[in-house]
Amino acid sequence: MKQLRRLWDITRKDLLVISKDKGAWILLLITPLAVILVASLALGPAFNGQLKSQLLVTNLDSGVIGKQLVDGLGATEGLNVVEASADETMALKVGDTGYKTGLIIPTDFSSQILTGSDTDLTVYVDPNDNASRPFMVGMISGAASRLSGMVMSVRISVAEVLKFAPDTEPTTVAVDAAPAAVKEMAKEPPVAMEINNATGMQEVNMFDTQTPGYAVMFLLFGVMLGAEGLLEERDKGTLGRLIVAPVSRTSILGGKLAAQFVVAVIQMTILFSVGHFAFGMNLGNSLPGLSLMIGITAFTATAFGILLASVVKTRRQATSLGTMIIILSSGLGGSWWPLSIEPEFMQKLAHVTINAWALSGINALILDGKGFSDILPQAAGLLLYGIVCFAIGIRMFKFRNA
Amino acid sequence: MPLVTADNLVKKYGELTAVDGVSFSIDEGQIFGFLGPNGAGKSTTISMLSTYLPPSSGDALIDGFSIIREEHRVKQIIGVVPQDIALYPTLTAMQNLRFYGRMYDMGGDELNDRCRELLELVELWDRRDSRIEQFSGGMKRRINMAAGLLHHPRFLLLDEPTVGVDPQSREHIFETIFKIRDSGTTILYTSHYMEEVELLCDYIAIMDKGKMVAGGTLKELLGMLGEGSVIELEISPPGCPAGLSRQIHQQNGVTGVNHQDNQLTISSKNSAHSLPPVLKVLEDSGCEVSHLEIYTPNLEKLFIHLTGKELRE
Repeated sequence: MKQLRRLWDITRKDLLVISKDKGAWILLLITPLAVILVASLALGPAFNGQLKSQLLVTNLDSGVIGKQLVDGLGATEGLNVVEASADETMALKVGDTGYKTGLIIPTDFSSQILTGSDTDLTVYVDPNDNASRPFMVGMISGAASRLSGMVMSVRISVAEVLKFAPDTEPTTVAVDAAPAAVKEMAKEPPVAMEINNATGMQEVNMFDTQTPGYAVMFLLFGVMLGAEGLLEERDKGTLGRLIVAPVSRTSILGGKLAAQFVVAVIQMTILFSVGHFAFGMNLGNSLPGLSLMIGITAFTATAFGILLASVVKTRRQATSLGTMIIILSSGLGGSWWPLSIEPEFMQKLAHVTINAWALSGINALILDGKGFSDILPQAAGLLLYGIVCFAIGIRMFKFRNA
Repeated sequence: MPLVTADNLVKKYGELTAVDGVSFSIDEGQIFGFLGPNGAGKSTTISMLSTYLPPSSGDALIDGFSIIREEHRVKQIIGVVPQDIALYPTLTAMQNLRFYGRMYDMGGDELNDRCRELLELVELWDRRDSRIEQFSGGMKRRINMAAGLLHHPRFLLLDEPTVGVDPQSREHIFETIFKIRDSGTTILYTSHYMEEVELLCDYIAIMDKGKMVAGGTLKELLGMLGEGSVIELEISPPGCPAGLSRQIHQQNGVTGVNHQDNQLTISSKNSAHSLPPVLKVLEDSGCEVSHLEIYTPNLEKLFIHLTGKELRE
């Protein structure tokens, strides 16, 4: 009982020390909030489809089909068509503004199609534009395919007409029929898509995807600070003063880790609360599930902190090694981008990180609308991870400098 | 009856022996001083007595309790003032003392009264609500000492408590130590400043390279260099005639002679009387004096005499 009281006294003292440490609060709260805000605002338009890709188009064709192709591309969602001269399109530059993709429609485009000849569209691309090039080429290719389909239809129709009016000039029939067919297809394609909400969830905003990832990353930075604090106490003799007092080592370490755990829970709760109330972040359908994930993530992060403090000899080593582990695990574990975009072997490898375990549970709640029971496997995996780190850390931690 | 008895304490770190079979006893109410250069083994000995470090071999009893087998009982009796400022810099003096007091099951009015008493003792009651980081080095040392006294320890271990403090703060610390001694607390004091142990300690143990090379009261220790004063001479050529020491010993007031190579150390009841005949003997023997020093015996000279090196090396 006495030892439990001393453990609590140590926890209270550590919380008091942390509460007075302005530098710690900057790292624990101000920095993650700023990073989440910047990342969400910067990436939001691109991820939410608000950022349109720019396409330079030079239409040398005077016919109706070239114009219809330009109009069709202009009406495509996510695509902004900028008309330019042939030189500008070939250089992918208008004035001082650079572009990534350009399209030239040749002079005889419509007439070639109408007379049944093959014709080419010329596309210019920036070879280093890996991000939007597939999308742009796909858009142009899709439009070209639709035109090709239309041309084939007209040709078949003309052939059918000629069966009944063999004296009619084929070109005349095609010229009369094609514009109407093109307009008809542009209005309403024969095959359309119907898009449905499969999960019933609201559309995610960038804060839904960014906040959990950065919250977990900065939680780990917070416990790294805690590990450094533990080593600082060892270096400066305050830990030694506790060792020579009638306080068990379990109480000393327990008190310090309890304080670290409380700080971690407060940090996560504040980050999620600010995300929700200030930026409209979705918290999912199960607050108990989210609370469970926050609690277990805080415990596992705390355990990571004691493990870190036990494997290094100096504070500088804790900073270097801790930063390296946190940066790598944040990249690998899905703090910066969805884990699903990583190659399969990396997705499997990611589960060596706290981030992957924590985010698989939190994202299942927030992004996929899963319930409490659905995230129990992730919670159990993360808890087991924490228990292993905790057991090794407690066993290896040295109360005295070598 | 001794309060502390150390029996053949040894501390090894791999091949290095930091403390090599140290034995001593400390009477209740005594200020026992450990004097020695940095790395002599003083702090390691204190660390073992305070239960911070387990001895590699040997044991010590504090009020009859073994530092190895009855660690928890020993911790209740001792108070430790470490060489480092073991305080939380962002907390106030009062918050630091309250926290350490609670580690000894103190609380409520008892703890508050004791904190006030100690802050008044170290003359920092007016600064009780100031953060430690705002204190001078000397003030930090005084709070560091107060933190070791909260639970009324019977045996106080002070490890170099004046390192890096200004002369005024040092005086404060000395006054505090005397007050603590007067309240009946037994004190173990380590320092590499001979003036401090000369001033404070009833019994002095000199340590070097992990061993206790001499021990006794100041008078007993200085007596090892002889009574009165010491005449130290550097003579040439080194090979002076045989029987030179015997001749010098026969001169007026000379109580002891030590002749090694070209170094001649003479103890004398009265150097003014002894010096002229000694110089005459040397002249008659064909020896030239290249260096002459006369001093009153002190611990610095004793340390050189015992170990062949300076105390602050």
